[in-house]
Amino acid sequence: MQKVKVSLTVNRKKYNLEVDPDERLLDSLRDRLHLTGVKEGCSIGECGACTVIIDGKAVNSCMVYTFQIDGSHVLTVEGLEIDGRLDPLQLSFIEHQAVQCGFCTPGMLMSAKALLNKNPNPDKEAIKTAIEGNLCRCTGYQQIIEAIEAVVKKDGSE
Amino acid sequence: MIEFEALKPQNLKEALAVLKERGIDIKLLAGGTDLLVEINNNSDRLGNFKYLMDISSIKGLDEIENEKKHLIIGALCTHTQIIESKLIEGKFPILVRGAKTIGSTQIRNRGTIGGNINNGSPAADLITPLLALKSSVILKSKNKKRELPLQDFITGPYKTDRKEDEILTKIKIPKINSDYQSSFQKVKRRQAVAISRINLAVVTDIKEMRFNDIRIAFGSATPTAIRFLKMEKKLKQTQINELNFDSIIEQTGQEMVEIAGERWSTPYKKPVVGNLLIRALQEIIREVQ
Repeated sequence: MQKVKVSLTVNRKKYNLEVDPDERLLDSLRDRLHLTGVKEGCSIGECGACTVIIDGKAVNSCMVYTFQIDGSHVLTVEGLEIDGRLDPLQLSFIEHQAVQCGFCTPGMLMSAKALLNKNPNPDKEAIKTAIEGNLCRCTGYQQIIEAIEAVVKKDGSE
Repeated sequence: MIEFEALKPQNLKEALAVLKERGIDIKLLAGGTDLLVEINNNSDRLGNFKYLMDISSIKGLDEIENEKKHLIIGALCTHTQIIESKLIEGKFPILVRGAKTIGSTQIRNRGTIGGNINNGSPAADLITPLLALKSSVILKSKNKKRELPLQDFITGPYKTDRKEDEILTKIKIPKINSDYQSSFQKVKRRQAVAISRINLAVVTDIKEMRFNDIRIAFGSATPTAIRFLKMEKKLKQTQINELNFDSIIEQTGQEMVEIAGERWSTPYKKPVVGNLLIRALQEIIREVQ
């Protein structure tokens, strides 16, 4: 297979990569850029553990070939932290104990982040829709939803 | 694992020129929400191909155009774009309802209407509403452009009439009066990220308490999504308050078996299709009354 040249901005940093045609974004992020916060779960778009934000939209990185998104901006869970400060969503997940085993957490955070970027005041239904593609086998979702709702409320009162 | 080379044409013209030359060896890739799963699973449905041509970033194929008599949807419009389009919500809410039931937010952000059609799944959630809306598809090749009814484009389960040098560029939906009503029903195993076990689209206008024009399209009940023309004929001009539920349920099931034959799922699906149709009709009747 012939390699394909791709330039990507990942977590605000520019990368020039040469990738195989069948290299998924998930593989590029984990194996080339060592962003192992991006998790591989089902590999067929059902669990959402590999969710990242491409050009503002939450996407399963197991369902995108890297060569398809030349020139795009990608945000992973590692990019939520800026200058050593956690994102309000991350702080809220900790505060509401929305993490147990933690495997779904990066994907959950990215789905929630994409939602809040687009709609800073989502209701509960919108939150549920945003994370409907993210499976969590530990928490039963309640604490996760509460964690996201708390960020919304805080934002509104400030 | 399947081995392939990547092709990434810059525009439609370039894509069509390459397809003309070696289309037989090329697989088209748009949102990838079906195709990457099939490649990952080494699916038999993939057939042989040497090149994977990514058309997902070709410009101009993701627009929604409001023409006088038709609404034109670009084949690369994502499900999210369809859901968020005020134009589609206003004219064809049933398409928005279908799109909302697809996969998850992540899948709806990538998957496209053209991909949903071209994949040709009997369970595709946009095909049934599009059939009930009497849609047609527009295909382009290097030197030609053709338009055909969506029903004729879908030739079998996971099979379409697309020729190897063609790209489906647009979906054309004839406009209907604002007094048309519609209902989309889906039977699924869970709430989200669920493939339809059966889906149903009904589009009708009710005049003087009778079904006037009525279109009924089922998905996943037969090898390809299809309109149930016998049932449409039976219901046309029927009083909405005088529906014989038992005979509708019986005859819908019969029509399914006539089209599909007896299959392993028939004992379940035969009564369910009719009941689903009743549910759709009642939803529509409630709206009018």
